[in-house]
This record gives sequence, C-alpha cells and structure tokens, in this order.
Amino acid sequence: MMRENDIIVIGGGLAGLTAAAVAAKRGKKVMVLSLGAGTLTIGGGIVDVIGYLDGNKPVATPSAGLLQLPAEHPYKKIGRPAIEDAIKFFKEICEEEGYPYMGNLDTMQWVPTAAGTIKPTCLIPKTMNTEELQKANKVIVLGFESLKDFYPQLITKNFKKISRFKDKEYETVMIDPNLAEGRDVTALDVARWLDTEEGISECITKMRNVIQPGSVVIIPPVLGTRPNYRIADRLEQALQCHFIETASVPPSITGLRLRTMMVSYLKKIGVRIVEQATVAKSIVEADKCVAVITEGIDRERTYYAKSFILANGGFYGGGLLAEPGKVIEPIFNLPVEAPEDHEMWANYSLFSNEAQPFAKLGLEVDEKMRPLDADGKVILNNVFVAGRNLRGYDYSFEKSGNGVAIASGYQAAMSV
Amino acid sequence: MQKATVVVIGGGATGVGILRDLCMRGVDAILIEQQDLAYGTSSRYHGLLHSGGRYAVKDAEAGKECIEENTILRKIGRHCVEQTEGFFARTHLDDEDFEGKWVEACAKVGIPTIPISVEEARRLEPNLSAKIKSVYRVPDAAIDGFRMVWQNVASARKYGGRVMTYTTVVGIEHSNNQVVGMKVKNTLTGEVSNIACDFIVSAAGSWAGEIAALAGITVNVQPDRGTLIAFNHRIASRIINRLRPASDGDIFVPHGSITILGTTSASVDKPDDTIPNAKEVVELLNIGEALFEDLRSYRMLRAFAGTRPLYSADPNAKGRGASRGFVTLDHAHDGLKGFVSVVGGKFTTYRLMAEKVTDLVCNYLNVKTPCRTALEDLVDDASPALMAKARLYFPAYGAELAASRLGSEGLEKVIDRMQAKPEKRQLLCECENVTMAEVEEAAADSTSFMISDVRRKTRMGMGTCQGAFCTFRSVGAVDANGLSWGKDTNVLFKEFLQGRWKGIRPILWGNVMREMELTRGIYEGTLNINGAIDDEGK
Repeated sequence: MMRENDIIVIGGGLAGLTAAAVAAKRGKKVMVLSLGAGTLTIGGGIVDVIGYLDGNKPVATPSAGLLQLPAEHPYKKIGRPAIEDAIKFFKEICEEEGYPYMGNLDTMQWVPTAAGTIKPTCLIPKTMNTEELQKANKVIVLGFESLKDFYPQLITKNFKKISRFKDKEYETVMIDPNLAEGRDVTALDVARWLDTEEGISECITKMRNVIQPGSVVIIPPVLGTRPNYRIADRLEQALQCHFIETASVPPSITGLRLRTMMVSYLKKIGVRIVEQATVAKSIVEADKCVAVITEGIDRERTYYAKSFILANGGFYGGGLLAEPGKVIEPIFNLPVEAPEDHEMWANYSLFSNEAQPFAKLGLEVDEKMRPLDADGKVILNNVFVAGRNLRGYDYSFEKSGNGVAIASGYQAAMSV
Repeated sequence: MQKATVVVIGGGATGVGILRDLCMRGVDAILIEQQDLAYGTSSRYHGLLHSGGRYAVKDAEAGKECIEENTILRKIGRHCVEQTEGFFARTHLDDEDFEGKWVEACAKVGIPTIPISVEEARRLEPNLSAKIKSVYRVPDAAIDGFRMVWQNVASARKYGGRVMTYTTVVGIEHSNNQVVGMKVKNTLTGEVSNIACDFIVSAAGSWAGEIAALAGITVNVQPDRGTLIAFNHRIASRIINRLRPASDGDIFVPHGSITILGTTSASVDKPDDTIPNAKEVVELLNIGEALFEDLRSYRMLRAFAGTRPLYSADPNAKGRGASRGFVTLDHAHDGLKGFVSVVGGKFTTYRLMAEKVTDLVCNYLNVKTPCRTALEDLVDDASPALMAKARLYFPAYGAELAASRLGSEGLEKVIDRMQAKPEKRQLLCECENVTMAEVEEAAADSTSFMISDVRRKTRMGMGTCQGAFCTFRSVGAVDANGLSWGKDTNVLFKEFLQGRWKGIRPILWGNVMREMELTRGIYEGTLNINGAIDDEGK
C-alpha cells in the first residue's frame, strides 16, 4: 500500500519547490505534483522582492517597500519576520548547493537587462553582481554572432542614458560560437556550448582576441547551464575580466540553474517530484481535503495527504482559469472575486504607472495562507495557497514575483 | 517643394489602386497616407474577396461588381489571394424563404451557387454545426489586405509612383477655383510642407468627409464600426457565410493558419473609433456558435475593429441600410476643379473604383492611355532559378511563403541579406515564419518608422504569441541596423506591444490571459521597459 504523504504540493515553480523544501526540512513526508517549471525558465533566476509601488515609483530598498504596501498585499499577511526567514532559508539552500546568491532586504540591486534598462531586485546569483560595473570606466558588452536574443548595442546605447552608468565608455564586441548551421540559436545553445570543455576553450581563445584583461564585460546569461559558478570562475581566471550576466528573454538560463538547484536539493532531502502531473480535482470531506486526483492520457490517479499546498501558478500555470467576467479555481473550486464587467479587468495602457487589475485577481487567504470565503471564513483547513494564485499583487508591475513565491511558499509550509 | 501632377490621399486599397493605375498610365503621382499603408479600413476587415453572394439580394449592382472583380483579382493578385471557395450555410435559426430569393438573385447577376448536401458540406468542413439545414458553394476567396496594398505600391513604384506615410493633409490650396496644391504635415516630425499639384484625389475612406471639409465641401461619409475576432485556428478551409440577410457575425474567413469572424455594425462619430470591447466579442461568439457549435473552444488571437466608410447622399442613411456601392464625386460641381472624392465601396471592388476614378482624372488631364490594371500582375512571380536559390537560404516551408509575401524583387533583396550574413536566416518570428532578413528589409523601406510598420509588411508579431518573443528581437535587429528612426528603443517596445494589447484586452481570458502573464513577465517583469529609474538609490 502506498504510504500516505504528509503534504502534497501542487505546482513545481519556485513557490511550490520552496514550500516542499521547507516542509521536508521540518521532517514531513512531501510529494510535489508538477506540471512544469512555472515561470522559472522565463525570468526566474533573480528574486525580486519589491521594486515599485503604485504610481510606478521605485522604492529605495525592499525593506522600505514592504512597509508601504496595502493591507491586501500577500506580504502584509505573511509579515516581515517570515519574509526574512524565507529569504534566509532560500539563501542557505543556495549556499549548500554551491550556487550562493547575493543580496538582502536592505539593499536594492539594479541589474542590467538585455533591453539596456536596469531593474531593481533583491537576490541575485553572483554573476549578476554590478559592483565592478559601477566602478569601471570602460565597459564591454559582448554578444554572440547568431544569438538572436541578444543585441549588445541595445545595452550600450541605453546605458548612456542612465544616470549612474552614463559617464562610462562602452564598446560592443562579438564572438562567433559557430552554432548557426541550419537552425536558430538561443542562449541555451550558447550555455551548453560553454558547458563543454571544447566550447569553453574555444570561447576563451575567441574572447582573448576581442577583450583586454581587466575589463568589465556584460554578456547574455550563458555562463553554463549548471547551478554553480565554475564556468564564470574559469572565464574570469583565464581572461582576468569580470563578467556580468543580464536579465534576458526566455529561455532564462539563470532560471534554469535555479530550478536545477532546487530540484537537486529536494531530491537530497527526500522529496518525491512527480512530473507531468495535471491535478484536475480534489476529494473534499467537510472542511478538509482528503486527496487530489490527476488526469493523464491513460488514467486517473488519486494522491492522498494530510495537507495540501496549492502553488500551481495562477493564470499562467493554470491554477486559475479566466472566463469573460469570471475566474475559476479548478481543483477545489475556491471562490475568486472578479469584476463581472470584463471591461474592468484591464487598463487601456499595457504599460503605464498603474498595476493591471486582472493581475491582482486571485485567492483570498488568511495569515496562514488558508483560503477564505467572502465572509472571511476559512474554507479548507488543510489547504494552503502560495505564489501566483494569491490575490492582491501584480508581480510584473511591482517586481515581486519570486519574492512572493518564496515568502508565501515558506509561510504555507510553516503553517501546515 | 514636392511636385506631382496628381496627389492621392489615403493609403488603403482604393488609394494605392488609384496610384498604381495613374502611374501605369504615365501620370506623375504621389500618395500620402496619414499613418502606415493599410492602417485604416483595408486591414480592419474580414479579408474576404466577395463572390457577391452577400449583396445579391439587396444590391444587385454591388453583387455583379463583386463577381467580376473577384475574377480579376484572383489572377492579378494571386499572391494575395487564397482560392478557398465559400459556403453559404443556412442554420436552423434562419428564414427558409430567404434561401430561394437568394439563389434567384445570385443567378441574375452571374454568381454561381451550387447546392450540396449537408452531409457533403460537413464532410468537407467537419467543424460545421450538425444543425445546418442547407449549403451552397460560391466562388468566395480569402485575400490578404496588407499584402494587397503593399503589392499595389510595389507595382506603382515600378512606374515611378511615390509614397509618403505618416503625412496628413492640413490644407487644400486653390486659385481661381482650381486646385494648385496642398499643405501637408509629417505627423512624426511635425514638419509642414507644400506639394504642388494639378489634381487631388481623396480616397480617404472613413476620413473622406474630413478631407473634403478642408476645401469647404460637404461629403456625407458615415463611419460604421465593425469588430472582428481572429482565431488561432483554421476552423474551416472555406469561407463560411450565414445564408440570411446580411447581419452581424455572419462570416468566417480562413487566412493561412487563422480564421477571422465578423463583423458587428454600429454607427460611430469618429473614423478612428477602433478599440474593440469584450461585450462585442461575446456577442460575436454567441452568433458564431450557430455555424460552429464548438466556437468557444477555439483559441482567440485578438479582436480588432475598423470603420467602414458608408456614403450616402442622404445623410440620414446609416449602417447596413446604406449602400455598399461606390460613388465618385467630382467637386467641380461644388465649385472646385481638380478635386475628386471617391467614397463608399468595398475592398473587393477597389480596382474597379480606381479604374473609374483614374478614367475621370485622365479625362481632365487629356491622357488617353487605357487602363491596364486588370491585365498586369501586381508583382512578378519569382523565377524557378530564384526559387531554387531561396530554398537554400530560407528555413523549411519559408521560401514559398516569402516569395508570395515579397514578390520577385523583394525576395531577391532578402536573399542577398541572407547570403551576406547566414545568421539572418534565423526566424525572428517563429509564429509567422518571418526571418530576420525580411524584418531588416521591411524596416529599411522608406515607409517604415516603427515596428508596427514592419509588422504590416511581414506579419511578424501577428501569430500565436502576439509579439511575446519577436518584439524584443525586432527592436534589437532594427536598432543594430541603425534603423530605430531616431526613437528611444523603449518607445519602440511600448508602441508595438501597446498595438498588440489593443486587440488582446477585449479577449483577456483563457489562454490569452496566460499568454499575457508571459508577455508582461518578459517586458515589464524582466526587461523593465516601463519602470521608472530616475530616483534610483534614493
């Protein structure tokens, strides 16, 4: 007979993986039902906590931002101490896995993006540290011929318009990874090329021809697919340069590293991850969930547990389904308040100084992350919600996605 | 100062058709367009090359013109036309008596209607509702409005035609009741200049009333707004018309891998009232379900709206009550010589309208060269040798697609780019199979000033992801080529994505919602093209 799990986590994105890690560390038997990597492979290598408030005003530090949020925001329910503990917990995992992250709530890190903008964030891999960039007089932006997702001059041109970076000299250089034979090239191809001994040697040789020792070099996120700094260290030693990876369009290699690291850690601490598991419905008795049921091409499977953490990614992950004037939570049929008039869901401007109303739709929860009904009563006692399913925040606008994921995943697992 | 014998106002199908016709007859002509080519009504419709069946009962003349022009455009514009044929299908909700009237009316004007059994129709189009009562085959076809306009311009250019986009008319100049020129404004730079000319043809569509007003002349054009939905599927291989008197949501038109459903009809005050809303979309879905019961299960790409320029000598006629026929107004009758407005009409009959107007203009100019627009292809076919070369450089299936999109000349230029830099062969837009070289070529054209202009010429950004991936690449590529038109690249990002958003916002549910989380995650969350950074570090 299958031994019953203590906790089933629904969702394999950062919220779900964090929740699973926390619960397992607390000695629980945990299983993750995962359908995919969530947004981890989109832009997930960086942990934004909070960057902007209403009016699109940047906050000085994540700490300062947390103080100014409205009561409906998930962070307000989680509370500052748990947010701090969550970040500490996350950084410990990174440390243990040999892929340490930098940053804290009292420092805003402005990282370069592939569009030549900078974005405020909180925790970053070391390869995105911009201290050397800020000190440098001359900056090289290095691109790869045939990589269609990176345009060095977008960065050099736009950096000259950013006050803190404008008084520097910029140069763009290109090297050819010889990968274009008959197909399209993404950052993942270049990263895989650097993963190989021949690739990195060839790359070093080519880089020597175009960059001087002592340079600060901005590059696309291609410093290997594995969650460690071996490729970065090797390049830095060989070329005596400092490399800085940019936040880029998908596939996000830094996000891939983060996911690989989390999965590796979870396996070490005994969490079972079931891939390609589409959770379709639940078995509920009174105010408790007994089991969830997955749907496959071949058959349904029933997974029993004492508690459940719902972290299946809001609209993007399929945790919430939108219909004209209506939002459905398909597994537990939890209520979601949404304007009946669909015109009220979205602003006429896609990018403006306002958050998008639709992005804030989601499940209402209490401090323990348990779902609430319209009267504020807990609906299911052993179900906890984390990540993008939560209402009250627009992650793209305020730059808070992975921060909410980690903090709410932590809080949900601590509440079980 | 620019000079031309004739200035044509309006870069839609009618305007470019007139430009081509004038140039082919040796008249020196220039076309001005307030936005980009095909920005207005010519890209905001079904893309249906009417057989005329839609009009036969109510407007026999329009029906007859349609079937004649349909036959011509299939030949001269074959790279823009997909010869799908069409069905007229009567559903259980539609009046049986109308069917007989319709068959008779079609026969009268020469539109072939071939009855087939419902079983046969459903075998050919398996998604059709089982509740269909009767079906007829008609020679409808699908036509790409963007490409048609663009290829007319390519043809006109071969004969010396000139085009200025993002140029509006701010004054019509005359002396002794005769047009002598016009004052125009570049909407991007604000620069005002003069064009000296002997003749002005206003083919401004829904804006024709506004243009005439500049000369103190009244032209009654009632803009009638229609909203349409683009589905990310080929729901049917044929055009499917509802067999009932023309009404809302009656027509499905397949284009490549998508299907367009339309349209609604509502009188509006302004010709540029083109923001669709969710209510209209839901209405269209409700109506469309009579023909395709599973309609709601198909993923939508976007909604869009355009205004039809309905002309009426009687200013009180509105909506579907106004004729779809066209009228050439010689304003000599209003006291101003050298000024003509062409109003009303349909995309299907644009060439005929152009011919009639050009005849009139040539008569004034004493030009005797006959019209040849019905005889000569819009663009040359690519030679077998060029196609063989194209196959070496384009990704799978891309060569044929690019050849019909670009024509022989354009294809050659794109191949040159690919030869010079092999990495330009990569797909910049995977959804619509558009290579980086094509985007660069379109961006380098003198009528391109923003990424949306490149989109209309190539279809980049018009597929499933609606720009989620190719917006970044196209901005990067045009910027790398020094073609960012003096704009901040963040402005280019926002302009393009806002344009896509306009059509996504009214259908923001299902997978479209999912896609938007991704798009915003990339451009707002990751690339921060919107976030203020000016008080950073405070």
